[in-house]
Amino acid sequence: MKHSPKLTGIIFVAVVLVIGLAMIPAVAEAAPKGKIAVVLDVGGRGDLSFNDMGYKGTDKAAADFGLQMVEIQSASASDYLPNVRNAARSKSFDLIISVGFLLTDAVAAAAKEYPDQKFMIIDSVVEAPNVMSIVFKENEGSALVGALAAMVAAHYGYPYVGAVLGIEIPVLFHFEAGYRFGIDWGNKAYAQEKDTNPNTGLLYTYTGTFSDIAKGKEATKAMLAQKAGLVYNVAGPLGIGDLQAITEDIKAKGKEAGPPFMIGVDANQDWMGDGHRVLASMLKRVDNACYNASEAVVKGTFKGGLVVMGLDVQGVGISKDPDLLDFMEFGIGAGKITAADKTKIVSNWKNMRAQVPSWIWNAVADLEKQIISGKISVPNANTLDEMKAVRSKYPLKR
Amino acid sequence: MQDREMGFAGRIEELNKTVIAGVVGFAVGALIMILYGYDPISAYTALFSGAFGDLYSFSESLANATPLILTALTFAIGFRGGMFNIGAEGQLYLGALAAVTVSLFHLPSGIGIALSIIFAILAGAIWSLPVAILKAARGVHEVISTIMLNWIAQFLAFYLIAKILVDPLRAEKTISVAEWGRLPLLVPGTSLSCGIFVSLFAAIIIYLLLWRTTIGFDIRAMGYNPLAATYAGIEKWKIILFVFITGGFTAGLAGAVHVMGRPPTYAVYGGMPSIKGLGFEGLAVAMIGRNHPIGIIFAAIFFGGLLAGGRMMQLFSQVPLEMVRVVEGTVVLFLAIPELIRFFSFLRKVRIPLTFRIKRSQNKEGRQL
Amino acid sequence: MNPGYLWGIFLGSLHAMVPITLASTGEVVGESAGLFNIGLEGIILLSAMTGALGAEAGGPIAGLIVGMGTGFAIGLVFGAICTYFKGVQLIAGVGINLFAAGLVTFWLIHLGVPGHHAVAEESMLVNISTPVGDFSPMILVAIVLPVLTYVLLFRTKLGLKIRAVGENPQAADVSGINIHLLRLFSTAAGASLAGLAGAYISVGWLGSVTKEISAGRGFIALATVVFSGLNPLLALLGGFIFGFFDNLAVWISTMPAVQQVIPWQFVSMAPYVVTLLVVAGVIGRARFPAAMGIPYERE
Repeated sequence: MKHSPKLTGIIFVAVVLVIGLAMIPAVAEAAPKGKIAVVLDVGGRGDLSFNDMGYKGTDKAAADFGLQMVEIQSASASDYLPNVRNAARSKSFDLIISVGFLLTDAVAAAAKEYPDQKFMIIDSVVEAPNVMSIVFKENEGSALVGALAAMVAAHYGYPYVGAVLGIEIPVLFHFEAGYRFGIDWGNKAYAQEKDTNPNTGLLYTYTGTFSDIAKGKEATKAMLAQKAGLVYNVAGPLGIGDLQAITEDIKAKGKEAGPPFMIGVDANQDWMGDGHRVLASMLKRVDNACYNASEAVVKGTFKGGLVVMGLDVQGVGISKDPDLLDFMEFGIGAGKITAADKTKIVSNWKNMRAQVPSWIWNAVADLEKQIISGKISVPNANTLDEMKAVRSKYPLKR
Repeated sequence: MQDREMGFAGRIEELNKTVIAGVVGFAVGALIMILYGYDPISAYTALFSGAFGDLYSFSESLANATPLILTALTFAIGFRGGMFNIGAEGQLYLGALAAVTVSLFHLPSGIGIALSIIFAILAGAIWSLPVAILKAARGVHEVISTIMLNWIAQFLAFYLIAKILVDPLRAEKTISVAEWGRLPLLVPGTSLSCGIFVSLFAAIIIYLLLWRTTIGFDIRAMGYNPLAATYAGIEKWKIILFVFITGGFTAGLAGAVHVMGRPPTYAVYGGMPSIKGLGFEGLAVAMIGRNHPIGIIFAAIFFGGLLAGGRMMQLFSQVPLEMVRVVEGTVVLFLAIPELIRFFSFLRKVRIPLTFRIKRSQNKEGRQL
Repeated sequence: MNPGYLWGIFLGSLHAMVPITLASTGEVVGESAGLFNIGLEGIILLSAMTGALGAEAGGPIAGLIVGMGTGFAIGLVFGAICTYFKGVQLIAGVGINLFAAGLVTFWLIHLGVPGHHAVAEESMLVNISTPVGDFSPMILVAIVLPVLTYVLLFRTKLGLKIRAVGENPQAADVSGINIHLLRLFSTAAGASLAGLAGAYISVGWLGSVTKEISAGRGFIALATVVFSGLNPLLALLGGFIFGFFDNLAVWISTMPAVQQVIPWQFVSMAPYVVTLLVVAGVIGRARFPAAMGIPYERE
């Protein structure tokens, strides 16, 4: 009895080895001109926004410059440092891109240990000569969508707008701060045009997750029940749940198109919901950031330090016509829409936007100009205390 | 498991079983990899070298094993006493938070570490008290009460992390364990801290406890044969209390060593992505380690190695990290079968003395849920 | 508070109730026969994935059936391990959870956009629209099934046999019942309901599959089973209670005024605290079949 199990074990291993060896492809690949690692946090891919955009940008750079891209997922927060370190240790990557604020400590530690390795981190600042820190002015972009939301809600007769957020990290405070400012500005702009201030209020919640879609759906339903006209998704994949709630609400009224609307985030999510349920998206060009960093490494112009991508360099922005087609490819890749739907979505989208009076669009464009020129400075928040200060300045309660 | 009765031959049988289960686990993993076009050879090579290939990798494996040893001990102590204590998950959350709380004060290093550990241990024990009391006084099955308390602990932890212990500068996590409260790194440039010594020490203590003390004997007796043990004068409620409190100690300690020893953050994130699941993984480790402290140490290193190696596997072979879970799951699944060897054996069943067989069945029935 | 809120919370609770009630009703059957399946979480997760794939191939009903089939298959494996192979149930269940978590994440990386698999609208179950909101037909299924299960367990001969096998297998064996076979099928049938629950999540409710889509509902189902004392009708109630509090917590988190008084985390805690109290107080000694959890061996 003692030898039998061992024999069986050996047979198993042998079989596996044989099958395995047989499967090794004999084709040699063209040697890549460089390798780039992309390290993701526990949220991972599939959010149709943040992480997916990081992938998109790096992928394009890899294609354009003949690089090999290696994606590294993290199953738990304990993986952050080992993942970044492993990539650095291997000394085989020209650049290690870390997508997300949660990777800050890991990159800071690894950058110190491997001063010759080039790092890039998104949404955070790590002060080291070998780290390029790319941050975005989400508050500026959020101000634009906030203004739009307030005016559109008032136009359609809704007393509130909503925001479904994820985890209370400083990055999300940027969104909330800008959004509040924008709503307030939108109220004032509406007052100027129509002589009464609608006092659109804000309903918001931090769901505490970047992955539980059901929470997004429920939070949005709660806001819709309290008569929110637009809901801003600031929690990555939760937007899927948000949109479901909005769609159900729309269909219950016997309609196909909003209001109520969702506001997308990071990627252009306007194509979701058949093109007429997401009014606009707050674009955060993570893909451009990754592309630029990769390009810099290839061309030898990589520099450590802070890169701020704001409205002026189109690092953030409100979704417009040309972006729509580009990002529909996202949706097709995810299996959510098919290529055949494209024309229908575009025409729906145009209708949806046309129904919003042009003075509102002009006002938003005006706000954009003023922010870019520096005339208006959008408040920001990085810590809980700063956020509380902004909240008391723009309470947006009714 | 039944080491005394089985003797040496029995231990070899258990070891064989573990090895077979391991082989099957890896085979299944390889099969799935092949089905999806991955290369299992390069994947497993990366896996093993990433787990044990050099000092760095081995340190990472040990770092992962550190809390697993402790949560496995929690389960194992219970199992030896005839109970299923799966409350390590909730207890470790609170243990970690208790350790963090000590950092709210200012203390010199030695005292700081000691106090953090004590707080954590107490937190774990306090959380396991209701389980013990409910079982002893009201006969509530511990699987149920621990599942409930695990959930309650999770939400309580969410609240504490978001509102009470939150770091004012970085709202996504608790305050970090202060510099003086951190366990020093054992191998610089890795994640391995001196916490591993704490875990090994705890394993040794538990071993001595169970096999070299009277109370340990009583616990194991209660596990083998509750009726006979009670008849012999061992009081069940004492055993219950002791088993759960000790289990709470180790589980709380697991939370503490993790948060005090794990660079770079030394804090608990909102949503607890770094400590969630350590309790249930400890369960699997305990099973693979056959509920014996020595076995647990090896099993924990194995699990820790799979995790560390899995990261390398992802890096070099682009096989997703989760393949490791598939292997783990299959191994555990197969280990659930006590007759595993017989299943694979091509020989006829060996005749075992009748008394031995009855004792074996009774042991299983007495202990299991 | 206007009626809109209350309806919203009520309907949301009904939707959240479906997977919990289905899974727990199935587990009631399994536990009545004597097998404790802690692997429900893994079954739900895996079925969510297979159900989504099935729906894309053949429509929503196909998806639900594929999900049920997945649950049934896993239930068979689990049952076989725990009956014929005399395996330890808790361990086998944990193995299932680990395996499912790994496999689903692995699959997600492979199919379409990694991390998230979206179920196209056409493949989703159509909801019934009412003036107060949308109703999934599965809600009706989730109400009817526990009733049918109750009838099965307590009013039919088969149900009597199932309960006998869980309560006193030796006596049942003597009277000619095939213990292993009956336990195997009870657990497999029960697991198929868990599979239906998983498929509902992806095909009928949330329309997507992520690696955390099951969100602990398997464990909530186990808690509900305890709460129900192995009575399917109470499992229905329990499912609703859990769904209700879960929903309530999210709604409360959007109302700052209420949040000051009671943070949402405590609302989420409520059903577990209640269950604990119920188990400790009202029911007294937890009433499980005497032979639950023990592999049956003929002496």
